[in-house]
Order: sequence, then C-alpha cells, then structure tokens
Amino acid sequence: MSESEILDDLGRVLSDFQGREYSGPIGPETRFFEDLGLASIDAVVLGEALQDRYGRPLPFGELMAELGRREDRDLRVGELAAFLARHLGG
Amino acid sequence: MPKIPVNGLTLHLQQAGDGPDVILIHGVTGDLSIWYLCRAMVELAIDHRVTAYDLRGHGYSEVAPSGYSSADQAADLLGLMDAIGADRARLVGHSFGAVIAAHAALLAPDRVEALVLSDPYFPALRHLEDVSRWGHWQAFREEAAGAGVTLSDEHWYDLGKFFDQVLHLDDSGMLRFRRAVGLPATERLLRLGRTSCGEDTKRDAGLTADRLSSIAVPTLALYGEASPFLATADYLVEHLPDCRLALVPGAKHRAPQENPDGFLGALREFLQSIGSPPVPGGVR
Repeated sequence: MSESEILDDLGRVLSDFQGREYSGPIGPETRFFEDLGLASIDAVVLGEALQDRYGRPLPFGELMAELGRREDRDLRVGELAAFLARHLGG
Repeated sequence: MPKIPVNGLTLHLQQAGDGPDVILIHGVTGDLSIWYLCRAMVELAIDHRVTAYDLRGHGYSEVAPSGYSSADQAADLLGLMDAIGADRARLVGHSFGAVIAAHAALLAPDRVEALVLSDPYFPALRHLEDVSRWGHWQAFREEAAGAGVTLSDEHWYDLGKFFDQVLHLDDSGMLRFRRAVGLPATERLLRLGRTSCGEDTKRDAGLTADRLSSIAVPTLALYGEASPFLATADYLVEHLPDCRLALVPGAKHRAPQENPDGFLGALREFLQSIGSPPVPGGVR
C-alpha cells in the first residue's frame, strides 16, 4: 500500500472510530487529539485495530513512547500514515 | 481489543512480552495509555509479561455505579490476576493506582512479589500532608477556575466535590469547561462524576495506617523529587519493613509524564534487584 492509499484508508477508519463520528474532511494535517477529539487511550485502541486491519504487528508502543517525549504531543494523521507506510512497506 | 470479565464487570487490558508478571495500575481519571506514553509497556516487556488495564469506570473498561474504594479495586486487581493466570505479580501503581496495589498486597501478600508505589497519597495518611504547600492542588484549582469551576480550600483534593460541581454546570458553563479541558476529558469526568468514585477514593476502606505499615513485600516508594507527598514517602520508608525510596529528578506528582526516562530507569533498576522468581514447583 502506498502512503496516499494508507491516508485514504485512515480517513475511512477515523471517520467512524469507536462510535465517534467525525464529519469533517480528514487529511495529513488533521490532528488526532485537537481536531478529531480523540484521547491517548483511543490511540492505543486504534493501534490495535490497525494491526488487525493490516494483519501484522506494528511497533505502536514505540510510536506512543515517542509521542510521550516530545513537545507537541498531538499526532497528525499524515505522521501516522508515514509510520504505517514505513512498517507495511516491503 | 482484549476485554476480560472481572467481578461482574468487563475490564479492558493490554499485554506484551513474556516472563514474570508485572501489572500496571493507573490513577483515578487516567487510563492505561500512561504506560505507553512513558514507554513502560515496551521496556518492561523485554523481560516480563506486562499487563496494563483500565480501572473500572476508566478508559475502555465498563463503568460501574459504585465500588471504587481501594478495597473494591484491589478485589478487581486480584480477580484480573486470576483471569489472566497470574498467581503472583509485581504491582506497579501510580497515584491512586498505588493505593490499590498496596491494598492488594495487604489482602493477598502471597500473590504480590513486589510493589512499586509511584507518588501515592493515602487517605489514612492525609494528616501528614500540609495543604498549604500542595502546589498540585493549587494549580488544579486555578485550571478549574479558568474552566468556570470554583473549588474552595476547605475541600482540597476533594474529587467528589469537583465532580459534583462539573455535573451541575449550566449550558454555558459546560461549554466553557469543555473548551478548557477538551471533549474527551470532559466526557470522562462526567462519566466518572456520576459514580461513587469521588467519595469512595477519599475513604481508607480498611487500609489504615497500621495495616499499611504491615506490608512487608519488597516495596519501592517512587516519588517525584518535588512531589507534594514527600511526607508520605518518608512515612512509608520509615514504617514499612522492606521499603526503599527513589526520587525522580525534575518531577512533581506525575513522574511518568514529567520525566518518563527517569521514572522508567528507577522502576527497571528496582525490578532487576528483585531478580527472577523461583519457578513454581521447581528445584530451588
């Protein structure tokens, strides 16, 4: 899957995640917490859902730990797509 | 997502790794994501089976109307250990999660291999702490005031009062509160505010000062070096038979967030000092 295909796929997943509908457009700059109104616990559950969706383990623990150590703790959908592309490629 | 029935409730948990069991217990109003954000989930899984779970009423676990005292939640924890097949475990709790861990060690000392108490204050030791010095509560009060909720000094660290005030905000007050703390946090607080959590967590629920002092399993009192609860830390070290102290540099009450590497370093060092447990039924 290419990064843009992953981005489209994430848009589908996030528009109705765990019963939280989001009607706005979802793009690479969409922020996980500020825009989508999700919390870090939702990121844990999303990580798990994406591993099921793509059928392989992905290092979400590392991604979360990185998030916990930086100044801007919000996650952009584009960053998540790049992370997935990196680990799903090949 | 893995969910497991415990004491008639469904609790959400996450697991990683293999080895001796470590169970991670977050504090009131939090959820298991703190263990991901501070990297405990990844690091401890190198040589442990790590289980993190959402307390009742928190995260993706079921919300019960009552049963939030440390005694009730220690029963949840022991039930969870049964459900995952952990006869014994190392318990790591933050804030009220540490009160729950200590209560479990009191109820079932044989099942608790070691305790890590990260910055708890205990309802039974409330008299030790000087309210006027408690910057964490003062900061919380200011934040709450900014969000339209006034808390008086009389009710310091009174979550019951806080929940009650949030529940009774009028529409414009609620809008202002939601803008200040964000939608997910507001939803969580409202959900928890309708339960007996605020009142239950103020009671010692049988974990009296004397009983707390009788906990003899190897214990680490892990406090932020600028924690508001250092008098509690001193008390623990002085009264528990096998309790040592570690301070996390640059941290106040939330060391896992304020200095995750410092927190994790002290936690790992302590767990390594415990060594590997004997294999059940094996030759020693």
